[in-house]
Amino acid sequence: MRNILKIKFLLLVVLLSSQFTGFGQGSPEEGKTLFRNYCATCHAKNMKTDATGPALAGVEERWADYPREDLYRWIRNSQQMINVEEHPRALELWNEWKPNVMNAFPNLTDENIESLLAYINVAANPPQVAGGPADGPGAVQEEESNTIYYILAAALVFLTIILARIISNLNVIALKRENPDAVVQRKTLIETLTSKGVISFLVFALIVIGGYKTVNTAINLGRQQGYAPTQPIKFSHETHAGLNQIECQYCHDGARRSKHSVIPAANTCMNCHEAIKVGSNYGTAEISKIFASIGYNPNSSTYIQDYATMPEDSIRDIFTTWIADNYISENNLAELDQEGENVVEEQWEEIKSSLTNEVKKEIPGPIEWVRIHNLPDHVYFNHAQHVTVGKVECQTCHGAVETMEVLQQYSPLSMGWCINCHRQTEVQFQDNPYYEAYEDYHQQLNSGEKDKVTVEDIGGLECQKCHY
Amino acid sequence: MKQDKQGIWIGEKDLTKDPEFIKAASQEFAGENLLETMGANPEATNLESTRRDFLKFLGFGLGAATLAASCEIPVKRAIPYVIKPDEIVPGVANYYASSYVNGGDYCAILVKTREGRPIKIEGNSLSPITKGGTSARAQALVLDLYDLNRLREPSINGEEATWDDLDQQVKQKLAASSNIRILTNTILSPSAKAAITEFTEKFPNAKVVTYDPISSSAQLDANEESFGQRVIPNYKFEEADVIVSFDADFLGTWISPVEYATGYSKKRKIDPKNPKMSRHIQVESRMSLTGSNADNRILVKPSEQGAAILALYNAITGSGGKVSGLNTKAQNAIAKVAEELQAANGKSIVISASNNKAEQILVNAINNALGNIGNTVTFENASLQRQGNDQDLAELLSEMRAGSVDTLIINQANPVFDSPMMGEFSEALAKVNNTIALSYEHNETSALCNYVAPVNHILESWGDAEPKRGIISTIQPTIAPIFNTRQAEASMLVWADSENYDASSEQAYMDYVVKQWEEGAFAGQSEYMSFNAFRDNLLADGVLSLPDGEGGAVAFAGDVSSAAGSISKPANSEMEISLFESINLGAGQFASNPWLMEMPNPVTRCSWGNYLAVPVEFDGVRKMIGLNGLKDGDLATLTVNGNEYTVPVIQQFGQMPGTVALALGYGRTQAGRCGTGVGVNINPEIGMNEDYPVYYATNVSVSEKIGKEDNFSCVQYHHTMGVKSEDEKTGEMINADEAALVAFNYGVVRQGYQGALTDRSIIYNSHVDELEENLEYLHDKRHHAQKLNDDQIYPGYDDKYAMGHHWGMHIDLNACIGCGACTIACMAENNVPVVGKKEVKRHHEMTWLRIDRYYYGDLDNPNTVYQPMMCQHCDNAPCENVCPVNATNHSSEGLNQMAYNRCVGTRYCANNCPYKVRRFNWLDYTTADIFPANQPSLTDEFVFGKDNMTRMVLNPDVTVRSRGVIEKCSFCVQRIQEGKLTAKKEGRKLIDSDVRTACQTSCPTGAITFGDMNNKGGDLDKKLDSPLNYIVLEEVNVRSSVNYTMKVHNRSESLDA
Repeated sequence: MRNILKIKFLLLVVLLSSQFTGFGQGSPEEGKTLFRNYCATCHAKNMKTDATGPALAGVEERWADYPREDLYRWIRNSQQMINVEEHPRALELWNEWKPNVMNAFPNLTDENIESLLAYINVAANPPQVAGGPADGPGAVQEEESNTIYYILAAALVFLTIILARIISNLNVIALKRENPDAVVQRKTLIETLTSKGVISFLVFALIVIGGYKTVNTAINLGRQQGYAPTQPIKFSHETHAGLNQIECQYCHDGARRSKHSVIPAANTCMNCHEAIKVGSNYGTAEISKIFASIGYNPNSSTYIQDYATMPEDSIRDIFTTWIADNYISENNLAELDQEGENVVEEQWEEIKSSLTNEVKKEIPGPIEWVRIHNLPDHVYFNHAQHVTVGKVECQTCHGAVETMEVLQQYSPLSMGWCINCHRQTEVQFQDNPYYEAYEDYHQQLNSGEKDKVTVEDIGGLECQKCHY
Repeated sequence: MKQDKQGIWIGEKDLTKDPEFIKAASQEFAGENLLETMGANPEATNLESTRRDFLKFLGFGLGAATLAASCEIPVKRAIPYVIKPDEIVPGVANYYASSYVNGGDYCAILVKTREGRPIKIEGNSLSPITKGGTSARAQALVLDLYDLNRLREPSINGEEATWDDLDQQVKQKLAASSNIRILTNTILSPSAKAAITEFTEKFPNAKVVTYDPISSSAQLDANEESFGQRVIPNYKFEEADVIVSFDADFLGTWISPVEYATGYSKKRKIDPKNPKMSRHIQVESRMSLTGSNADNRILVKPSEQGAAILALYNAITGSGGKVSGLNTKAQNAIAKVAEELQAANGKSIVISASNNKAEQILVNAINNALGNIGNTVTFENASLQRQGNDQDLAELLSEMRAGSVDTLIINQANPVFDSPMMGEFSEALAKVNNTIALSYEHNETSALCNYVAPVNHILESWGDAEPKRGIISTIQPTIAPIFNTRQAEASMLVWADSENYDASSEQAYMDYVVKQWEEGAFAGQSEYMSFNAFRDNLLADGVLSLPDGEGGAVAFAGDVSSAAGSISKPANSEMEISLFESINLGAGQFASNPWLMEMPNPVTRCSWGNYLAVPVEFDGVRKMIGLNGLKDGDLATLTVNGNEYTVPVIQQFGQMPGTVALALGYGRTQAGRCGTGVGVNINPEIGMNEDYPVYYATNVSVSEKIGKEDNFSCVQYHHTMGVKSEDEKTGEMINADEAALVAFNYGVVRQGYQGALTDRSIIYNSHVDELEENLEYLHDKRHHAQKLNDDQIYPGYDDKYAMGHHWGMHIDLNACIGCGACTIACMAENNVPVVGKKEVKRHHEMTWLRIDRYYYGDLDNPNTVYQPMMCQHCDNAPCENVCPVNATNHSSEGLNQMAYNRCVGTRYCANNCPYKVRRFNWLDYTTADIFPANQPSLTDEFVFGKDNMTRMVLNPDVTVRSRGVIEKCSFCVQRIQEGKLTAKKEGRKLIDSDVRTACQTSCPTGAITFGDMNNKGGDLDKKLDSPLNYIVLEEVNVRSSVNYTMKVHNRSESLDA
């Protein structure tokens, strides 16, 4: 919630500010989409680090000496400008970046490009928001609703006291009428409060509330909705699934054919990261961990022989060199400065601590992720059944993973939640010949007696569909 | 004496209505002392609780809940591969074709692995030998892999050593030796033989000595003399109309039981339209598994076997005459058997397990005279499953005694325990300078050897097997070696400095085997052009049939007259003992396997130990009396050749008077936590006759009762059904095992239910010639039962079952031989725990699938029927409606479901189950409980599922049950769900082969058929048509989903006279 507010606020600032900048009627929102679709494969998202292509921050300043049209044309077809026009700025860039060829995007309009540039500006210079974002209207509302309850409670207490008073008065009056001579002694407040009735009521209330709380807590034992632990690698689903739109099942390739969705092996990561060696968010810090796990030397772009038995010092040499070289080239330094050394040391320590623990002492070997979705042992869940047969979207249970920088458990994974979905979800009944065994349902569907067959109808609520 | 036509009995106690048994049968948890279960000191356990206790528990409960709630959830890890192998998808099982080989035991198997961990054995249906069947031993193979008794490191004189040190020292010793001997069990592997040949070429003074723990040496020698080939022929039981077996337990243990059972059952299954079956006559003294399946048993004492064979030979050839010493009854019967054999006209088989060459020559002569050779007994692709040579062993022993053997390499054998003359062997072993054991586990032999080179498990090994000439079967690893072990063949090659073996290669022995294939099998075939294609297909299929190079044509050339002359005379002693190989422990090789140890003997139904089978006799009035008045579980002193043994006793129907029987292979002294000290070691009493061991003794006596066994672990009276008794007050027949009182007919109260029906349908049997009338009888009974049950408790569910799937099962009692492969398969598939001897005694065995054994017919020499019994998945399940928490309920697919997490352990369901198939976890047998306080310590019993290594065998798709819940057969619901998912993923209708239960796939005879009753035209549907079918306890209206068939036998009354 906070993040969304932040982004919205940020966009507002940008929108307002863009009104006052000379050019660029482009909308950063449109630019963001365009960036994702066309640029993000090669250019870093933070606009500040070089990836396959250069960092894009300050692109307008660097082209300021030339007509703006040149920049447009450069983005549409850079090779044209290099080879045919021999534009000086183009040649300069080519000499720096060849042989990496930038794709041509002839379909981008000037407005599109303006939007892109606007987004690059915004992304490169995120405005500092003064103070933390306020808790917002949500919090205020909550407070308001609570106040109503307090007022209501106070009124009820007040009413109770008044009623008690009236009853007591009436009792006195009644007694007096029966026996005018009687000396009626009113109960003191303490006497009232310590009376049997009040204490019984309090004990009763305590048991009810306590029981309710206990049962609720007990039910929630072991559930961890919203669980978002720190992972050994700051893997961002937002970058991979959102920005780069990598299909979920490219990495989680078990989902379509196995009970497990499968956490991808390091060699799956290497399919892309042999090319993308420096991350857009964290630079060398995180991607190096994959290399350190699988035994890939990013300096020479080769896999290391006998990595499992390699001494730690040699591993250290490889990765500190890699981090230092990147630091130097990123900051255009001649040699590593003090801060650079700190960075190198920090990143190396981080690599080491992420890949080792009290059981696994050596760096080479698997990356031990923290498991987020933990079903109890007595629950059988099969991804293939849901993904391949039921054609359920991943997001139905896992939420909008493509927007999660840090992955969290979206659903409660409680039995009630499962059951509820099984009650509501329609079975992919018509186009799978397997279900021909359910003749009656087919007839009922055809005659219109039934409008859909839910999972419940074919026994989806029975114990031994999930527990055996 | 005859019982009435349909009368069946389990044993002496139910036959004689033993009051103690009747009382025990009336309770579901008979023999159970609750206090004993609760704690060691029953007096200290006060089960009454006061109001204060209640408040204490309440307070503790609340406190514990609060504490637990505030605890942090432990962080769990998800660890992916670094480089994922292409063929592995986590969560999806991989199957690899391989072979189960243990000495001469062979079975073609598929190994199911999950995430690189072998967890289950299935049969390989491509095999021309075992045809997809398995044995209990093959099923238990996977647990051996995770045996805690395995050797983990090489050792020198008991000290742990490195392979380099060991190799160096062994090579030195070998180079300095002038007389090297290699002692091994039968080797089926051509590549292992090649490796040994390389070794003997390098060391010309080395000689290989082969022996089999249970010897068939005499038969091999006889075959060599008779036919010129020292092999075991093929026995085509599927073509034999008459089978005569002289003490050969060919369905249980003899040579190749899986193969024989597969063929045998083809002639035993009944086609009701054309009822025909083979006649099987067993000549024996003890009730063997094979004998229990026979139509007729001719009882002869072990020492009379030779005379019996000679009598049959004489009768068939018309030569000779009566044989002296053979009992008259057998004499007469054998004359009639001879007539039947001759009438069968070349379609019969005569076999003998005797280890006497003359007797085996006579058997060959009989088969030859009957025209069986070349028809039912063939030598094309003859069997190599026994290769032992007793003369060689005897010679080795005398050499060792003389001190002329320098170095003895013992290759995966345990001669100190299982060779005949074992005592002498260990003495002689001490005279050998260097002893080298290539051993898989700690055993009596490895303990005495200087150098111990640990060997891979077969599931970690490369290799091949040639169980029959020309039939190649591959062995491929399904897991990397767990410990620092090396294949025996590789060790031999290393010590021989073989040029063909490159130890530095990553898969050194694989290279060697593959090269052997290229030079051998590949050259001998013409189907594949390229070797790579050949190799890949061979590994995928696991088996390959090549033409038999030696040809199958043989001519009988045995010297019959001298053989007939040298037949030994029957002994004249009062008591004889037969020593036999048990189906679960073999000759002791399987003693450290808890599954096999706990598997009850199919016939005696005893587990965890060997029990002396003593004959029972009818006293003519009411009682069955065991030998010397001995009863089940009594201890007696057995004296054999002057040596005394204290043995527990089991009364055995069908045991010949004047004989007793005891299984070999028990009483191991070094067999890990499971096998050490269980049972009595009777191996020293194996006698010798011209270097051939003989498996009986004649100088025997049995004492009277000297005590009672502490933990009598026999399951025959556990979980009994349909026990009848006389009501003490009224004298009427009542159901003793259902203690419910039913009031009907205006106040007449009777014990039992459903109108106190005492006539319970459990087993129906018929002679094959009387099938028609018995089917009519069965039909009437079923009709009556169904009429009783017009009303249902919960009507209106039939529509639901008619749609989708309705799972059911069919069990052909004519095919079931009781071998128990299914019970082990079930334990492996469903994570069923092993509970141990003490728990078995307390009726706590957890088996989901048990095989009930009933006798019928003649009391003195009964027939037997085996009935696999598991949850019947009743559509009117009585267990379901008594569960207070709805933990067991019914699915729309007809499954009786069990939700373990809901179960609170009231055990009402088990009490209400007429089939007695529900099992309660009295203790934490699996250490599945999250609270350590609930774990074992409650008893002094060892918990077999405790170690993490053993737990690697668990099936990850099946919940491991914790203490305090009921469990039972689920119809392998995990397989049902998997099969359905496969069909759904592939977008097609479900077919029979998608879902097969573990018991079904393990069965060597195809007795079990599982399937969807709604699948018209499917396997199950076809079987459900048979008029032989019936439902057990149909009269109690529980609408079970399991059909059984009437047991049909082919007993010849004329043989009994």
